[in-house]
Amino acid sequence: MTHVRPLANKLVPAAAALAAALVLAGCTPGTTTSDASGDAGTPVTGGTLVYASGDAEPSCLDPHVGGNYPQALVASQYLETLYTKDADGTLIPWLAKDSTVSEDGLTRTVTIREGISFTDGTTLDAAAVKANFEHLLNPDTASSTGYLALGKIDSMQAVDANTLELKLKSPDNSLLESFSMPWVAIESPTALKRSQAENCAAPVGTGPFKVESWKKQDAVNLVRNTEYVLPDPKAGHAGAAYLDAITWRFIPEAATRYAALQAGEVQLIDNAQPDAIAAAEKNTAIKHLDAPRPGASNRVELNSSKAPFNDAKVREAFVHAVNVNASIDSLFFGTAKRSYSPLSSVEPLAHSEESLFGYDPAKAGQLLDAAGWSERDSAGYRVKDGARLSLTFPVSTSQSIPAEQSLFEQMQATAKESGIEIKIKLLDLSSWYGELFTNNYNLVSAPYTKVGPGVLSILFHSDSTIPAPSGYFANLSQVKDPSLDVLLDTAGSTKDQAERKNLYAQAQQKVLEGYYLLPLYNQQNHFLYSEKLKNVGTTTAVASPTFFGTWLSN
Amino acid sequence: MSIFQQSKPVGDPLLNPQKTHARRREATLVRRLAVRLPLLASAAVLLFFVLAAIAPNLLAPFDPLAINPAQAFSAPGAGHLLGTDESGRDIYSRIIHGARPSLLIGAAATAIGLGLALVLGTIAGFGGRWLDFGVARILEVLFALPGLLLALVFIALAGPGVATTVIAVGLTSAPGYARIIRAQIIALRTSPMVEAATVLGRSRSRILTAHILPNALAPITVLATLGLGQAILWAAALSFLGLGAPPPAPEWGTMLSAGRTYLSLAWWMTFFPGLAIVLVAAASTVLSRSLKSGGGQ
Repeated sequence: MTHVRPLANKLVPAAAALAAALVLAGCTPGTTTSDASGDAGTPVTGGTLVYASGDAEPSCLDPHVGGNYPQALVASQYLETLYTKDADGTLIPWLAKDSTVSEDGLTRTVTIREGISFTDGTTLDAAAVKANFEHLLNPDTASSTGYLALGKIDSMQAVDANTLELKLKSPDNSLLESFSMPWVAIESPTALKRSQAENCAAPVGTGPFKVESWKKQDAVNLVRNTEYVLPDPKAGHAGAAYLDAITWRFIPEAATRYAALQAGEVQLIDNAQPDAIAAAEKNTAIKHLDAPRPGASNRVELNSSKAPFNDAKVREAFVHAVNVNASIDSLFFGTAKRSYSPLSSVEPLAHSEESLFGYDPAKAGQLLDAAGWSERDSAGYRVKDGARLSLTFPVSTSQSIPAEQSLFEQMQATAKESGIEIKIKLLDLSSWYGELFTNNYNLVSAPYTKVGPGVLSILFHSDSTIPAPSGYFANLSQVKDPSLDVLLDTAGSTKDQAERKNLYAQAQQKVLEGYYLLPLYNQQNHFLYSEKLKNVGTTTAVASPTFFGTWLSN
Repeated sequence: MSIFQQSKPVGDPLLNPQKTHARRREATLVRRLAVRLPLLASAAVLLFFVLAAIAPNLLAPFDPLAINPAQAFSAPGAGHLLGTDESGRDIYSRIIHGARPSLLIGAAATAIGLGLALVLGTIAGFGGRWLDFGVARILEVLFALPGLLLALVFIALAGPGVATTVIAVGLTSAPGYARIIRAQIIALRTSPMVEAATVLGRSRSRILTAHILPNALAPITVLATLGLGQAILWAAALSFLGLGAPPPAPEWGTMLSAGRTYLSLAWWMTFFPGLAIVLVAAASTVLSRSLKSGGGQ
């Protein structure tokens, strides 16, 4: 198994490590010994990588528009970001050279790297970055992820060719982390002036590949950017990417996708299913890349805005009534580890509290009895004032993999033993959104990827219960706790790193103790690839793989 | 269903007059058994699944919904005859418990299809030239649309679920039945029996209820058994697409769909529910064909 090596995996922050890094080129601290991906050997230039994605084909290739993970995956090949993360998960400048913030935290200055051009010939400068931020903040762009990430920006000004000055509405200590996400990637300002339809079909960036054509319902064809300049020379080889091209296909059916990989039709698949990963571990021709996404953990949110979950006792009872661990063990074949935190395990500030989440039907029963749900109906479900203890659980079939859907079915079965009814509704994405907008849910599982602990504000601040123009709101457990809001606001604006860590830990403890969520595991992000593909494992800050250093052996 | 076609047995005793009576009788018996074997097997299969639908607990050793993660993906064997699924549920028990929804969906959908067809067919066959013309055009339009598309459109409008699936499959099968019923009624309307009744001055409604409908019913019964297998297949197809019974219901199409994910790991999750669907559909087709030809000959 290969572990993640973020974008600048060979970038060594300290000179002392330089010598060691030369020896260990291609091998990072997180890499396990079982990795025999054969990164050794002389890179070969040429060949086309066929990538098979299990996600729905994006309707727009510009991740500014909307802003979901499938867009980030493909856009990571042709767009680059101002910041990124190195092998240790440290934030490092990429298209930006440096950034400083004023004492009051309200003015951030970003210096842009010189000597980099977009693939349409436009020069990267401060004005170009400004045009991108304006594009993201323009309501006509209909950005949701990028828009939220830049929400604190009040105004901006290109002070000189390479210096951009941002005035903030309030201090935002996660802004640089936000800059590292593909949804805030920098595109050619010339290209952005085109109509949205044109820009969606072929966004123009500075990345190692560029969009050549997009045949809808078939594939996005990417070709090498021959003029590519690696922003940080220490981060990889000089010159252009080794691969001639990448064909980005969409094969939604998991078994078909895996079969295509086995048959050699494609060299890399995403959204690899647990059973396929387990099978691939025995197959020497197939390698595995496990790249958990940053931001939130995968969790089930408990809607506290209405009965029965407006009662904290019922929320706590539910958490003890479902046996999650047994299900994860059997359904995920050891590919997913149980989480007890609202944050992904790749987030340095993640705070876990395992003791709160034990499977304990007896305790669940006591809590429910105490909350007044002591009677049972003929079907064995608990009732109170004539109403059954019934929970509606809309599940998006495109966001929850089959193993996760089975996990929810098993939760349904174990909850029944405690007299709790769970009604699972398998829905397509738009019907699923519909249920959320109309508050027609008690349980829901919605992944949220973001770099840094700032995601906690998006998920648990009372402001996030107010729907965005698109209708979506991310605080799906609908926590409205003024003291939590203060914690999150202070944690997000302090300049003191220790205080930030401490406050975010307190905030996480608060939502965990409030039983607003049931953490499951990291947001799964598994890739399987042919052993012919060498030097796979470099990813962006949001764990989407990049293929600048990847090559195909014969 | 070519495998169930009854070809004329070789060695027909009538063509071999030199054989003794005893040998001829024996041969006749064997021939009859051979001819009836598919019929008997079909009857046995249907009987088994009808029993499963009526009293599943009699046949199923386990609770179809009881999970046991530790036993997940067990291969067919002693503990679990047909293996277990991803949640450790017993596949055999789920198939047995799935008989009721699957057969009910099939029966209800056929009933809806036939009921609708009876109304349309009667209007067209007995309602005069203009009504006939109108209904015939509607049927032609419905025929022009593929059946599955029609069902999908209906589900898209009404939302997924068991009731919707039943109505969708019923609606989809109605045009085919309606056309046959119309032809039947037209044939009866011009029959000497009805002409006699008309001459005797019977009212149209009396002719319809006393003469035409009772006589049209016999072929409809055959159609219904033939349609049952088809309707079960359709319903399973819709459930497979995630438009039928929601999880964790032990519906055959739903089980088939869930198993598909684990095809390379646990073939039994897909194979056995699929086998149940094929068996029931084939058995009801064989039975209806023999009904049509009058008792298996």
